[in-house]
Amino acid sequence: MSTINFANREINFKIVYYGPGLSGKTTNLKWIYSRIPEGRKGEMVSLATEDERTLFFDFLPLDLGEVKGFKTRFHLYTVPGQVFYNASRKLILRGVDGIVFVADSAPNRLRANAESMRNMRENLAEYGLRVEDIPVVLQVNKRDLPDALPVEMIQAVVDPQGRFPVFEAVATEGKGVFETLKEVSRLVLARVGST
Amino acid sequence: MVEPSLVLYGALYQRAMDVLQETLQETGARYALFVDRKGFVLAHKEALWAPKPPPLDSLATLVAGNAAATQALAKLLGEARFQEVVHQGERMGLYVDEASEFALLVLVFDDNAPLGKVKLHGKRAAETLARLAEEALANPPKLNLDTQYREEARALLDELFGN
Repeated sequence: MSTINFANREINFKIVYYGPGLSGKTTNLKWIYSRIPEGRKGEMVSLATEDERTLFFDFLPLDLGEVKGFKTRFHLYTVPGQVFYNASRKLILRGVDGIVFVADSAPNRLRANAESMRNMRENLAEYGLRVEDIPVVLQVNKRDLPDALPVEMIQAVVDPQGRFPVFEAVATEGKGVFETLKEVSRLVLARVGST
Repeated sequence: MVEPSLVLYGALYQRAMDVLQETLQETGARYALFVDRKGFVLAHKEALWAPKPPPLDSLATLVAGNAAATQALAKLLGEARFQEVVHQGERMGLYVDEASEFALLVLVFDDNAPLGKVKLHGKRAAETLARLAEEALANPPKLNLDTQYREEARALLDELFGN
């Protein structure tokens, strides 16, 4: 559920980038941070290890602007993708309004994609949520790899029912980054208007 | 359980602001924030004499993350909760206390504010804010946002993220 601050006329949404380790979640946020003009973004906070692996989360606040008198803001988070950081991952999902699942196109990461999706379902269940309850967008990243798997194959393991909108991406070059963010934002906003 | 939306509005918001203001006066702290556990600022007050605060979004997010990790640690050790958290540096300190299951009180203080006072008044303020949070959750205001909100928001998405 979004957080509404009537006194300051603000509506805030929490969007979480989920996915296996090294799939490009932080790279998405870094690209967004580098392209959003000053005044529409806050400081990016990264809690990472010395070798730049996410330890707890990355955080980036974005200002969409004023809609019907309400300042509308998105708080973007990433989770640590490495398997052994599950306790931290679970905490970040608290109060989530929308999820971008960043999958890796490398053939040797197919199983990691599937494991991460299963882990996301389990962690959401701890908050009484199912993936069907919240907007999820699937970003298939690293499409520039020479041996990138077909999108359909990745989709078949992480979303066999084809529920989630899919975007292909090369996050290091910004390809597909804003398209993905825009879609998850649109889905999240649509739920506010309809409740 | 789906996280409920904690919304402060009208008189409740004003009462929260009064609690924060009183706590600043009683403790000598610089900044007082009432944040939800998701890391969003619900209300905040700054002492008149205090310099510009750090970015509140970042502060609230890190405090909420830290509080969540502390709760997880408590559970691992078989405790229901660790209530307050105090961090003290050479000049600045941070006091965080639970204000219900869904919110936190944050006080940022410098070395002029006695820690005893911060803890004493912080604890009282957190209890009052917890009651306000429960009241707010019991009577959530209706948002009344219609399809026009969605359309206007979509136009802004185009502007910010491109077509």
